[in-house]
Amino acid sequence: MIFVDVPEWADPVARYLIEEGLVGTLRIAAVALVASSLIGITLGTLLTIRFMPTRALIRLYIEVWRGLPIIVTLFIVYFGAPLISTQFELDPYTAGAVTLTLWGSAQIAEATRGAVQSISRGQHEAASALGFGWVGRHVFVILPQATRRLIPPLVSLLVGIILNTTLIGIIGGSELLEASKRMVEVVNAPLPTGFGDRGEFQIYTFVMLVFFLVCFPLTRLAAWLERRLVRA
Amino acid sequence: MTLLALTYDLGSFLEENWEALLRGLVRTLQVSAIAIIGSLLIGLALGAARAHRIPVVSQLAVVYVEIIRNTPILVQIFFLYFGLGQFPAMRMDVFTVAWLSITIWGGAFQTENFRAGFEAVPFSLREGGLALGFTPLKNFVNVTLPVGGRIALPSTINTFIAVLKNTALLYVIAYEELTTTAFQIQALTLETLEAWTVLGIVYLTLVWGLSLSIRLLESHLALPEAA
Repeated sequence: MIFVDVPEWADPVARYLIEEGLVGTLRIAAVALVASSLIGITLGTLLTIRFMPTRALIRLYIEVWRGLPIIVTLFIVYFGAPLISTQFELDPYTAGAVTLTLWGSAQIAEATRGAVQSISRGQHEAASALGFGWVGRHVFVILPQATRRLIPPLVSLLVGIILNTTLIGIIGGSELLEASKRMVEVVNAPLPTGFGDRGEFQIYTFVMLVFFLVCFPLTRLAAWLERRLVRA
Repeated sequence: MTLLALTYDLGSFLEENWEALLRGLVRTLQVSAIAIIGSLLIGLALGAARAHRIPVVSQLAVVYVEIIRNTPILVQIFFLYFGLGQFPAMRMDVFTVAWLSITIWGGAFQTENFRAGFEAVPFSLREGGLALGFTPLKNFVNVTLPVGGRIALPSTINTFIAVLKNTALLYVIAYEELTTTAFQIQALTLETLEAWTVLGIVYLTLVWGLSLSIRLLESHLALPEAA
């Protein structure tokens, strides 16, 4: 019954969910992934320096943003930043991207620390012997080798970020879940304005399917890379 | 705007709202406890089915785990509450959706944790158990579970922590746990910073406390090196 009759609203609703929702989701996810990687790899590398104050600060950063539920971080960023200065009034996209970056960079920092420390002492010494300073040694010698171990967690992080973009709908950002809430309202509204039909089940099932189709291949890819790159 | 920050007074905020906040915290802990126990049971059962390749159950478990792990928990909550709510027969109240959604989510992750743990048990140990005359079930309880369970312990507790944090998402269906309560108070009183201070302290204490307890438990329960 539900699946046999395709309602007349199915086509425009699906189109809106993909064009407005999925595009919004992927846009925020792309920004958050790039920013998380840059900040996370930098902090993770700095974490390997044996200097108490920086280590303590970076540890605190990691533990706080990993420890708080992301929804709490999101509210702190979205409503908290303007309290410091009205200059920092963020739109939902920016607040969402910042929140996911705080969370994502904490994950990547931890992974980077492990990856950097897995590179043998000899590589550091050889790079120093060639005249590289600390920065050059890490940028040109250590990190390129550590990347091998970092790619699987980065792909997993991308999945995590995509799944968590749904939170941005709570503060009004346009992503897949928010788009679907709007479409449920349209479908459920009485006839002249909407379709006067019930669409929650179909729409949320569709949203699950879209997320699954995006995330499942990435999860498999992460598992495959893990087998290939790390254990090779 | 800076005026808000100047009037920061955590003491009077707590004095006025401690009852509501405590009620929220109790609900958070309640849902977490149900979900932690529920997901543990699901994880043990399905993890064992996966590791022992029990036909049908094992395949269904894969489908369950992959669907849950590759869709946002927020969409799962919406699906259970609003999606299924479309049919009168499947309408559930907020509390049921609250613990059910978090349990289903946690169960998928625990299944994966225990599968990995049970599969990591050396085959020779299981063979040894069978040679001693254990039935497959007794072999599981006496050999695979104690060894594999300890291997799975760190990831299991990480999932418990994630379950606890995910209860904050119940805000979207207005289940009045800690986060929802704090946000509601903040919306009424505009004591934003005080509300966040409470949320931050409570969640970080719970999460850090749990992860500290793993480390202690881990060294206590760790397998002897030559296992």
